[in-house]
Amino acid sequence: MNKYFLHGLYGLLGVIMLSAIAFKIFQPIQVLPRMHLAPAFNLIDQDGKPLTSEALRGQFVIFTFAYSHCPAPCYGIFETLQDVQSRLDEAQLEGIPVTFVTISFDPQRDTPAVLNAYAQSIGADTQRWKFATTTNQTLLKTIIGSGFEVYYERKEDGNFAFDPTFVLVDGWGIVRAEYRYATEVSNADRILRHLGVLAEEVRNSKGTAKLAYEAAHLFLCYAP
Amino acid sequence: MKVKVLISVVIVLLGLAAGAYFFRPHNFHGTVIQSPDPAYNFTLTGAKGQVSLSDFRGKLVLLYFGYTFCPDICPATLANVGQALRLLGDKAGDVQVIMVSLDPGRDTPAKLAEYVAHFHPSFLGVTGAQEEIDKVASLYGIFYQKTAGSANTDYLIDHTATLLVVDREGYLKLVFPFGVSAEEIADDLKYMLKQ
Repeated sequence: MNKYFLHGLYGLLGVIMLSAIAFKIFQPIQVLPRMHLAPAFNLIDQDGKPLTSEALRGQFVIFTFAYSHCPAPCYGIFETLQDVQSRLDEAQLEGIPVTFVTISFDPQRDTPAVLNAYAQSIGADTQRWKFATTTNQTLLKTIIGSGFEVYYERKEDGNFAFDPTFVLVDGWGIVRAEYRYATEVSNADRILRHLGVLAEEVRNSKGTAKLAYEAAHLFLCYAP
Repeated sequence: MKVKVLISVVIVLLGLAAGAYFFRPHNFHGTVIQSPDPAYNFTLTGAKGQVSLSDFRGKLVLLYFGYTFCPDICPATLANVGQALRLLGDKAGDVQVIMVSLDPGRDTPAKLAEYVAHFHPSFLGVTGAQEEIDKVASLYGIFYQKTAGSANTDYLIDHTATLLVVDREGYLKLVFPFGVSAEEIADDLKYMLKQ
């Protein structure tokens, strides 16, 4: 009897380990990590209207950080976003809205009027793509520097040294992906693929399917 | 022989069922965050002096952002959190609830202490300079803004009503949406306290 019990126990542990290993290796479900909370903010957009983090809840938001005097092509940030903007159908979002927010770290020069003209000049659809900043420099540094963990610093010539970064935030205000210029492939293909992965998770965020997705988080089955 | 085979199969099945039950992942009621960096370590003022997040390393910290003039959402959430602590029994000593005021103009440390004590004697209320409150709120994803109130309240404050849980090592681990029940909070806290 004792022998059978031990066999049963070994069998059980074996099955559990095998299923865990199989889940990890085959990754039937892939997710994006819930990295950290995105900072809350209350900015002024290119139309002079408030743009708040609260108003963006329930949407996927791609944040970028730049300034209108950035020498073109400004690390290709806008080309990548334009690419994403024109190919959004590929992500199969099925009605989940996506907004682009470019936060300027140069509020002295980037007034709403300047940002509006800049948006027009690069062909941004301002219904979807917002340009915003705040004249509260301390808070701006908190939001971009500490909140989004993006480095920027004004140089003596008035231009900025900065780390060109894309940050993908989900509808709950949680950062799900960061694409840093120096270390990551920050191309439209990857961003679109990740938007699709997020949308898939949102569609499966109830009942049994939710458990499977939480298991994918637990086993760190992250989409490349 | 057949009986032995049958018994072993039954044992294995029972073992699997028991294993699946005991090793099942905890189904969190809040959203789990896998932050690689510790939560922002603020220092604000309570009725008995300075309070820093890092003072409570080794305990779970529940952070809630609100204000004492708050007409509905804050008392409802804090009442649920108080009830959750009572459900935890002895283990409640390993949990510290901190309410950060979003209304430093009206909420003095003494007033906050009096307010939070209505919900649970262990709760702390903290406040600070507007600039520091702005920073703490932003970094914990809490949006807030003043709106017009009645003659009695002068102004109200709209704010994000999430409840945040910082683990024993100082990492933000869990975000509860508004409306989470006392039982659900207690269930997640019990699991985190066991880890």
